[in-house]
Amino acid sequence: MSADSVEIKGEMTMLSVLQLASPDMVQVRQGLRSKRDSLPTLFAGSPLVVDCQALGEECQKLDMQQLRTVITDLGFIPVGIRHLPDVCIEQATQAGWAILRGGRVPPAARIEKPATRGANASGKSIEVIDRPVRSGQQIYFPDGDIVVLQHTSAGSEILAGGSVHVYGSLRGRVLAGIQGDTSARIFCQKLEAELVAIAGNYRLLDDISTDLKGRPAMVWLEGEKLKIAPMF
Amino acid sequence: MSRIVVVTSGKGGVGKTTTSAAFATGLALRGYKTAVIDFDVGLRNLDLIMGCERRVVYDFVNVINGEASLKQALIRDKRTENLHVLPASQTRDKDALTKEGVGKVINDLREDHFDFVVCDSPAGIERGAHMAMYFADDAIVVTNPEVSSVRDSDRILGLLQSKTQKAEQGDSVREHLLITRYSPSRVEAGEMLGMEDILEILAVPLIGVIPESQSVLQASNSGSPVILDKASDAGQAYDDFVRRFLGETVPHRFLDVEKKGFFKRLFG
Ligand SMILES: Nc1ncnc2c1ncn2[C@@H]1O[C@H](COP(=O)(O)OP(=O)(O)OP(=O)(O)O)[C@@H](O)[C@H]1O
Ligand SMILES: [Mg+2]
Repeated sequence: MSADSVEIKGEMTMLSVLQLASPDMVQVRQGLRSKRDSLPTLFAGSPLVVDCQALGEECQKLDMQQLRTVITDLGFIPVGIRHLPDVCIEQATQAGWAILRGGRVPPAARIEKPATRGANASGKSIEVIDRPVRSGQQIYFPDGDIVVLQHTSAGSEILAGGSVHVYGSLRGRVLAGIQGDTSARIFCQKLEAELVAIAGNYRLLDDISTDLKGRPAMVWLEGEKLKIAPMF
Repeated sequence: MSRIVVVTSGKGGVGKTTTSAAFATGLALRGYKTAVIDFDVGLRNLDLIMGCERRVVYDFVNVINGEASLKQALIRDKRTENLHVLPASQTRDKDALTKEGVGKVINDLREDHFDFVVCDSPAGIERGAHMAMYFADDAIVVTNPEVSSVRDSDRILGLLQSKTQKAEQGDSVREHLLITRYSPSRVEAGEMLGMEDILEILAVPLIGVIPESQSVLQASNSGSPVILDKASDAGQAYDDFVRRFLGETVPHRFLDVEKKGFFKRLFG
């Protein structure tokens, strides 16, 4: 039964989690489509986290690029992937996936990795973007901080190993600390983001309290709790 | 030096073809040798808007496939000197447009000393739209004052920064925002996005605002680009836009709700 190859669960109040039970993309597509069609209004355009726990070693058969395509084709927003065996992480990040920690899994192991934090081979630990980040664009910089000098659009994605600074309106999705750095922060001039995440702790912001919306704000992690506060 | 200008939008039906026809005509009227190419393979209608549909013998795809020369396929406009139309094929599909093929046609137009080549893009972000923007120096991004159109334009702006020859060479395509079908009264009523909102979202220099106008439909039904209708608001707005494109400073018009005339004010 193809519908059983995937399982969608509501988690963290609003985010859907796709539990993969098969690496076969045809089955995943069919399963995801029938789930979506069963509740189209609930799922339309909703962010989705992929969970690979049930797959185990079979993860190596996953085509990460295609998985992304399948998910976006069906109208979901791929936010990140979790419970991925270490051998698959390289391939997943290459395909633009954010590696998320499962709610309870401590991110300790990855933080220690010396090569990924701080300077990379070219000595660069900061990525400066001087144009607006448009809908459909993704800025991916696992080696450090991302600084955007203009705005980011709804439908864009910023994925940084370190912190993210946006000196304009922040309207897209932002994931900081994607390698598990819990000290990463998000700063922006005008908070209008769709989703913010730090080290895999994420929050959709359509419920954001009105006095924060449109204001300079900072997002950080206190324990497991994502904090958002105005900056001035 | 030819300047290649793509008219693009992402969303369908926002006024790309109307704009391409008016823009190319406006440039030609000012003495520039101009070609306008229909990239909407399979759904051609630039020839209808330009009123030359009966004179189509060969098309863009014929030229790409070497079945006709560019000279044979280019239609010389009857009304406006310096203006040439390259129609799209009605019977092929979009895969007929190859990067090499399109590149060769653009190069031939450069060698023929065309000042401007206007590329009328199809809707969407697929092959046809990609080919229309690939060789562009400038992009006219056409947006209607509604959220979905603005979002699609944002998407297209992203593609202009990554999927064009200019982008691949580390250079960038010049971006211009053209708002069309603008209805000040509906903006005032809160039914449509205002110009400021659109600019705030897209952050691209504004090159013109074309009002929603009955004259556009009349023009397309009679196969005559609306810019030739000098009495119409849309025709005048398109003319302002062409002048701005050529470097003149022209104030924006048609942004406010029309004041009621004297008698209307008196009698309701
Ligand atoms: N300023 C305007 N006022 C009123 N109607 C307009 C205006 N501009 C365009 N239209 C109408 O909108 C419709 C679509 O216009 P047009 O064909 O130029 O759009 P397009 O973007 O080229 O569409 P497609 O994506 O299908 O190629 C036509 O019926 C046209 O008459
Ligand atoms: Mg068209």
